[in-house]
Amino acid sequence: MKKLTSLLAATAALVSMTTLASAAETANIWVRADGSNFMPQIVEAFNKSHENQIKLDIIPNAELVQKYATSAAGGSAPDGLSLDLIYTPAFAAAGQLEDITDWAKSLPYFKDLSPAHVTTGTYKDRIYGLPFSADSSVLIWNKKLFKEAGLDPEKGPTNWAEIEAAAEKVNALGGDIRGFYFSGACPGCNIFTFTPLVWASGGNVLSEDGTKATLNDPKLREAIDFYRDMVAKGLVPEGAQTDSGANFFAAFAGGKIGIAPSGAFAIGALNTQYKDIDYGVTFLPGKDGGWSSFAGGDNFVVTKGTPKLAVLKEFLDFAYSLEGQTLLASRGSLPVRGDIAKEALKDLDPRYQIAAEAMAKGRTPYSVVFNDIINSANGPWAQLVSEAFYGDDVDGAIANAQETMQSIIDAGTGQ
Amino acid sequence: MSSITAKAGVVTPAAPARRRSKIDRGHWVGLLYIAPAIVLVTVFFVIPLGMTVWMSLHNWPLMGQHRFIGLDNYIAITKDVRFWNALKFTLYYTVIVTIAIFAVAFPLALFVEKPRPMTGVYRTAFFMPVVVGFASASLLWAWLLNVDSGLFSPAAQQLGLTEKKFNLLATFNPAFWSIIVMVVWKVAGFTMIILMTGLQSIPTELQEAAKIDGANAWQRFRQITLPLMRRTLALALILSVAGSILAFDQFYILLRGGPRNSTITAVYWIFNQSFVSFKLGYGAALSMVLLVILVTLSLIQLRLLRNPEGT
Repeated sequence: MKKLTSLLAATAALVSMTTLASAAETANIWVRADGSNFMPQIVEAFNKSHENQIKLDIIPNAELVQKYATSAAGGSAPDGLSLDLIYTPAFAAAGQLEDITDWAKSLPYFKDLSPAHVTTGTYKDRIYGLPFSADSSVLIWNKKLFKEAGLDPEKGPTNWAEIEAAAEKVNALGGDIRGFYFSGACPGCNIFTFTPLVWASGGNVLSEDGTKATLNDPKLREAIDFYRDMVAKGLVPEGAQTDSGANFFAAFAGGKIGIAPSGAFAIGALNTQYKDIDYGVTFLPGKDGGWSSFAGGDNFVVTKGTPKLAVLKEFLDFAYSLEGQTLLASRGSLPVRGDIAKEALKDLDPRYQIAAEAMAKGRTPYSVVFNDIINSANGPWAQLVSEAFYGDDVDGAIANAQETMQSIIDAGTGQ
Repeated sequence: MSSITAKAGVVTPAAPARRRSKIDRGHWVGLLYIAPAIVLVTVFFVIPLGMTVWMSLHNWPLMGQHRFIGLDNYIAITKDVRFWNALKFTLYYTVIVTIAIFAVAFPLALFVEKPRPMTGVYRTAFFMPVVVGFASASLLWAWLLNVDSGLFSPAAQQLGLTEKKFNLLATFNPAFWSIIVMVVWKVAGFTMIILMTGLQSIPTELQEAAKIDGANAWQRFRQITLPLMRRTLALALILSVAGSILAFDQFYILLRGGPRNSTITAVYWIFNQSFVSFKLGYGAALSMVLLVILVTLSLIQLRLLRNPEGT
């Protein structure tokens, strides 16, 4: 009898093992190329320690949306996707994503997840995306140039006047050295780094629910004048006017720019690729102090109807663990769990702390037509940026952009 | 998509229909010979064209469900000011660039046509940029035109022509003419070869006879060369106009439609509507409109340049 039970038990164990082995599933996920610095690492770590596996594909940034749309139409979409958070509303509105509200709310640390991600991940009160990677906008300055210009290299500017004064002093060093840099023809760079200046001063470019364009906000006008002033004083290199983003990071990394608005990603990139640049990180300030930040990064979304939901849950649980958050942070993506952010960052470059704090209070404009009104190189935001910073008719440019943006929003939400 | 369908629309005047009258063995053999061509045209032109028409009658987002909306897209086009502006700019560009290409290509053709030492070298050199793709040529010029690290602006400054670096791409006229220069550099060699073959097909006896009759070089060019090159000119002109109306790469890569959205071409706008705004149906409708415009223009050109005696 005893023998029989043990035999039965052994068989049962064997059966359960085989079912477990055959139950090991592989889920396919995609990430945009921006994530190639951390995604392969976390997938590898997951695959090593788990039965179920993740297969990762890295897609060029500009092709992700088209590629996903065509494979969804052809029935070969990946099971999950690490998606630029600003696209989550549009994808959800198109009915491509699985409603993951119940799962999200069951997470014990749900309330500690990056609020910017959760907000953009929510469409019509249902949750379609959960935070995965994070990047916040900050101000960086070159300590070496500050020292040469007679400024305190350890203290970053805390309002617009201080930025301009410091930029002037650095600019006075002469030669190729310039005080300030921004990418004048890059709408994405400027929504990331310019709008925080407006937000910190109490203005906005878009209503909270994304239904009203507010480009005629007087605070935006003041911020524009601030940039125009620096352009007029020659503090910004000529190339900035037509830089569509190629030099967004490279200009500062060249070591000849005093101050530049940038992102947390720059900390990782400078530390690994430009080790000789000595730089400081501070918040993007408002006109008279205060600060704000653009909370960017990726949401993790699930393709509607995928049979691999359980594997994706397992993967996300791993990414949210302390181990996962630390691994992501070490590769340049800020932690998305507020409750363990400090712990995940404790052994890393202390400048990450500023970026993480910026992330926690960061904001993200919400719109189902974000690509159209903001990111498009020919959209109203792009038009405003180039005309307002460099054109002759600022008021006309603002009025024009406001009208175009509102009409796109109205057309987009009316569908 | 649009460029393929539109181009194909220009170069495939349906020819085989005329043979129908006599049904004999030769007919079937003939049909067999052209079958591969028919299959290719059907698969890669007729079917996509039909699909484009079909899509243009739908609200067809890049993602999600599409629904039939009849002619709504076409009605929306009539009110789409930015499309008509883009079209206006495209026509302006087409006129300027076509004149510029011919102004450069014709003298080049006259130059390389006559046998002289090193003709082969000249021909190759002038033709070389043609084999570079438009996208790679644009990237090359993006660097040449870059204000900080390129060639022209820093060179002008160091030669003392400008006081500080001049950003060529920041305002409309310098940016537009930079594109024209780049396109002429890239395309003139191709037009040159076409014109050269036309020149070579003119019998030398005619020129010699005229010379003996005392016609000077200009008279010979006007009275002999130009009339006998009518067909070649028509071909070169149609290719140039069609190519220019479908211009996209150089404006997308070099200027991103800037400065201030002033260089958005029709195809650029179609691309934007389809893949930035994700409105595939509307993009398809715009493509159809552009196709009709292009076919009309090509027919007008063919008519204008037809030989007086008929075809």
